Amino acid sequence: MIPEIGYFSLTLALVLSVLLCIFPLWGAHTGNLRLMRAAPSLAVGQFMFVLISFAALIYASLTDDFTVAYVAYHSSSTLPWYYKITSTWGGHEGAILLWLVMQAGWTAVVAMRSRSLPWILRARVLGVLGFLGVGFMLYTLLMSSPFELLLPYYPVEGRDLNPLLQDPGMIIHPPLLYMGYVGLSVSFSFAIAALLTGKLDNSWAKWSRPWTMTAWGFLTLGLTIGSWWAYSELGWGGWWFWDPVENAALMPWLVATALLHSLSVTEKRGVFKSWTVLLAIAGFSLSLLGTFIVRSGIIVSVHAFATDPDRGLFILAFLAVVVGGALTLYAFRVAQVRSEGRYKLVSREVALWLNNIFLVVATFVVLLGTLLPMVHKEMGLGSISIGEPFFNKMFAIILVPFAILMGIGPLLRWKQNKWGFLQNKMLFCAIVSIAVTSAWLFSSYDVVAPLTLLATTLAVWIVVTTGVDLYVKATIQTSFSQGLKRLDLSYWAMVLGHVGIAFIIAGVTLTSAYSVERDVSMKPGEVVQLNQYQYRFEGVNTIRGANYSGHAGEVSVLKNDKLETILHAEKRRYDIGMQFMTEAAIDAGFTRDLYLALGEQLSNGGWSLRIYHKPFVRWMWIGGMLVSLAGFLILGDKRYRSNKKREQTAAQEAI
Amino acid sequence: MNRKLLAILPLLAFILVCVFLYQGLFANPRELQTGRIGHTMPAFNLPDLMQDNKRWQHTDLQGEVYLLNVWGTWCPTCLAELDYLTKLREQGVKIVGLYYVQSYDADFDGAFDMAALREEVSSMLSRAGDPYQFNILDLERTLALDLGVSGAPETFLVDSKGTILLHHTGDINPRVWRSKFAPIMQELQP
Repeated sequence: MIPEIGYFSLTLALVLSVLLCIFPLWGAHTGNLRLMRAAPSLAVGQFMFVLISFAALIYASLTDDFTVAYVAYHSSSTLPWYYKITSTWGGHEGAILLWLVMQAGWTAVVAMRSRSLPWILRARVLGVLGFLGVGFMLYTLLMSSPFELLLPYYPVEGRDLNPLLQDPGMIIHPPLLYMGYVGLSVSFSFAIAALLTGKLDNSWAKWSRPWTMTAWGFLTLGLTIGSWWAYSELGWGGWWFWDPVENAALMPWLVATALLHSLSVTEKRGVFKSWTVLLAIAGFSLSLLGTFIVRSGIIVSVHAFATDPDRGLFILAFLAVVVGGALTLYAFRVAQVRSEGRYKLVSREVALWLNNIFLVVATFVVLLGTLLPMVHKEMGLGSISIGEPFFNKMFAIILVPFAILMGIGPLLRWKQNKWGFLQNKMLFCAIVSIAVTSAWLFSSYDVVAPLTLLATTLAVWIVVTTGVDLYVKATIQTSFSQGLKRLDLSYWAMVLGHVGIAFIIAGVTLTSAYSVERDVSMKPGEVVQLNQYQYRFEGVNTIRGANYSGHAGEVSVLKNDKLETILHAEKRRYDIGMQFMTEAAIDAGFTRDLYLALGEQLSNGGWSLRIYHKPFVRWMWIGGMLVSLAGFLILGDKRYRSNKKREQTAAQEAI
Repeated sequence: MNRKLLAILPLLAFILVCVFLYQGLFANPRELQTGRIGHTMPAFNLPDLMQDNKRWQHTDLQGEVYLLNVWGTWCPTCLAELDYLTKLREQGVKIVGLYYVQSYDADFDGAFDMAALREEVSSMLSRAGDPYQFNILDLERTLALDLGVSGAPETFLVDSKGTILLHHTGDINPRVWRSKFAPIMQELQP
């Protein structure tokens, strides 16, 4: 009964989204205000029905309704209740339904928060979002319904959720990523609406900016938490693997980062308009392409997962219609767009233009690395695999000029700058950065590789230049403390974002250069030394959880004979799938992580253990958090908050 | 003119990508570049899944064309293909199962519960169809390793001399059978 309600409710949502696609677009085309006015309520209605549908799936999962195929394959009665909820997006069909919830949710929020927009634009934005909704809902209903039943022969027990996915990081990171992907569809819709209207002006950029920033904030947070999940759950201390799924999330992030920088230029200076529109289209297109790559089975990453070419074909067709349509519109309309502003070589415009170039090049690197193995095979050249070394090398090369530019950019003013004036400031920053980094690294480590020194210097350079810029901007007219209060939130967003990136660069560099790991075999009572810590193996206990059993190894960590912490590393075996999982023990710290993974019992009675000392690894996630905070900060900026008065005047104008 | 060309460039690039993706979708990405194609079956001596004291060697299989199907009760795709494989058996295709135990670790688990596995296997086969002449149990996964098995289900087509002609990853369905297996089968049995 309940699953049928879910399916039916989704069908109703599809009907509403078809109307949402047709009414406002037709209304905007013919100038019919009544049709356009229907859009917001259709958007909200569509969201309600999608929500009911998702609630039905959660209910089925919570009540162990194994007549529902999806629940039977991704849940079990022994699963704790919170994992029963998260299992609703642990598999393909459910994940797509969650995507739909996000899509409809964003559409509803746009409908409610866009009162200050002219009706023509508002209707077109919602119409385009409605069109995207139609595509995803058709896909869900026709190709991947999570409400398929296993009647009359249904199992008495489910297959359980993949133990890898039974982790708090898994509960939150996919929804955050989807929020980001789908959020980019709002930027996309704004771009398409602006192209349809033929008015690519500053106000378009201004309206689009907070949505893009929010979506980008979610995307950043999702990537950060996803990387933390991989680190804590996969049991071998890595945090980024360059696999197709990660690349699919990284590409939209890179383009969205370029987009929000480009949007600021378009908003403030009225230049780069056509480029900004193209980025807005590309951001969402790459989200879709990523989904296609991950979901169609075109790149085999996880086995024993029957992939259906029909699904891939549907997504590809949808991709072709959405992206192909958008780019065709772009090709027709953009030739008429003229830039207004003028600028010289040494200006903020050029710095941001270079920023965009670097980010787009980085995106192409990821795209090539992901698609090239496939293209290569198709051309009959045999299988190749492109792995970490390629990506690491390419990103290291791009990073150097990019980071230098990141320091210079904020110091520049719009239009033009006197080069001599900058020279002194930059020389000062460069000397300070090199001095600070050298003092830091050479005092802490015996060996400092040139590349490590370079990359860390770049991170420090970003912080120093941002600090100098902050000081200069704050002391233009008043004292430093007074001036700080006057700076607006979007400036603070930039500061936070750049410092966050500096943290990420430093974290990645230092943890790559100075991580130490040891594989040891230990009997209870034995001690090994790794860097300044002693690890004493206390023994192994048997443990029993709700849906697993296993062993827990206990290790005391001592520093200068004082107890620092006790680590419990577990090796679990899940009852239903009989899969083994390593639950690493992590003692997190600001400057270092101690990481312990329990291996097998050896024939001599000892246990194999793997111990890692990872300096500054946490900085990566601290950095990621700062960057995503930057994305949300702009929401508080008063320039972007819709204010009541403007809404009313806009409404009057429309009438 | 130049500007128009620039504006249309993204569209052209996208179309190119789409063409490749479309081809990729039907080029069967699951085809592995296996090193075993053209080689003979590796030597093995393994127990039967259902009977005690019965063992199978590679020489026992020679003389007939057969499919070696790697499967396990833990694998949902394997369950999905049982029905079609059973139809193939009815058409006279000889199918030998290589049972792949996913999560058994001799150092960790102690004695293997044979009775439970057999019960699980026979209940699944009686429910979904039994396409197998017999099943070989590869508890230590040695034969799977020699064959280059990367997961389940996977199927090898072996001729009467014991030469591996095909290595298919993923399930066998009518489409796969028609496009990959049937042409080779026809050549072998005119």
